[in-house]
Amino acid sequence: MTDREDKLMRAARGLATGISPARDLWPGIEQAISAPRKSRWSPMLAQAAAAVLLVGASSLVTYVAVKYDAGDTPAQVMTAAAPQGLIFDRAAFGGEDTLAAVYGRAGGNIGSMLDRELASLSPEAREDVERNLAVIRRAIEEIATALEKEPDNVFLQELLVEAYSNELALMNRIGSMAQRVMARRDI
Amino acid sequence: MRHGMKSTMAVVCVATLASTAASAEQQVDRTIDAEADSYIEIYNTSGEIEVIGWSKNQVSVKGTLDDDVEELVLERDGKDILIRVKVPHRHHGNVDANLVISVPEKSSIEVSAVSADITVSGILGKQALETVSGDVETTTAGNDVDAGSVSGDVDVTGNGKPADFEAATVSGDLTLTNLAGRVDAESVSGDVEIIGGVFDDVYLESVNGDLEFHGELADGGDLSMESVNGTIDIVFARDPSARFDIETFNGSIRNCFGPKPERTSRYSPGLELSFTVGDGDSHVSVETLNGSVNICNQ
Repeated sequence: MTDREDKLMRAARGLATGISPARDLWPGIEQAISAPRKSRWSPMLAQAAAAVLLVGASSLVTYVAVKYDAGDTPAQVMTAAAPQGLIFDRAAFGGEDTLAAVYGRAGGNIGSMLDRELASLSPEAREDVERNLAVIRRAIEEIATALEKEPDNVFLQELLVEAYSNELALMNRIGSMAQRVMARRDI
Repeated sequence: MRHGMKSTMAVVCVATLASTAASAEQQVDRTIDAEADSYIEIYNTSGEIEVIGWSKNQVSVKGTLDDDVEELVLERDGKDILIRVKVPHRHHGNVDANLVISVPEKSSIEVSAVSADITVSGILGKQALETVSGDVETTTAGNDVDAGSVSGDVDVTGNGKPADFEAATVSGDLTLTNLAGRVDAESVSGDVEIIGGVFDDVYLESVNGDLEFHGELADGGDLSMESVNGTIDIVFARDPSARFDIETFNGSIRNCFGPKPERTSRYSPGLELSFTVGDGDSHVSVETLNGSVNICNQ
């Protein structure tokens, strides 16, 4: 042991073994715990992330649609489309289906565009669109329920992919339809 | 009592003023020269749009505009003609324009509306017709038609000449009569019906609506029908020469051509049926989750 190490050891033995926090420390800790957490996401960052998610989900949906037409089963296509490290197993078409997450993200972003376009329609037209989106979503639930019983059923897998595609297509179509007429008011 | 009478009179006055304002409209009657095979774009948010093909090389726009209409745009740039009912920005409520538009019969047209009905007749060129909450009704003489509505019905009547037809609704019904060639028709909760015609390629899809095909498949043709909850009916105008692949998860299959469907699994109600009639030149594919399937000939 060197002189320096010896000195340090003696100093350490002289330290108190129990440390009591100062009496005024707890209110600060309590405040830090109960205060709402500040989000790491600024609005701009969140928008950028949403855009990345939309592009990713849309690309995946397009990829699935193209490959799906080429004759692969939806399960094969989804597995092939998955990024490395993200595993699509058979349960992907069950109640916890991964498709829901993928389409959900794409649909969420299209949905905000749709909401803006719906606001420009008559209440009747708006109600009609919403009622029919509910019809598609009920159909998706029915197919997903059937798939829980038979996760390997390719026919049901196809129906589920088509139902999700229908939902996105409808949202996209309504948005673009209203926009096409409204957007040219400046002519 | 006097107070009640005053209120009533006030309501009557307000109603009269409102009705006068609502009925205020301006007449329009404008004509410009056009090429025989023009491309005509028409935009009208609300009201009615009737497009008629005629033999003159002119475009005529007649009708009435609500007083709130800012301007009726009628512009020509070579073969391109734009007709647009311009309404004020941020206007609340419908601003109607009821237009009868005559165009050279060989023109192609594109009509877009929000809450307006679209009626087309006598057009020989291509048609793209789209409205949100109105009906679409058109006749075609063997050229492509793309028609869609959200809550309105879509009726397309042809003359039996082949072309590409695309039609879609959300809740409205689709009726396609005497067409031929290729058809792609989809609806969410509306019924889709094909009446008559000889087809190379037909794709019909619905979520809750019923699908009906009453027609013929050309040699090598393809008929594909898919629904989640709708009934699927196929009636061939003559005996087909086709391979059939039919599958349901929960619906029944009735087949006039002989073979009976088989269960897809011991544990689920699903049925499938594959068979061939004649040489099997064409292909018929039917898929449904809960709907029943009926296949027969006349």
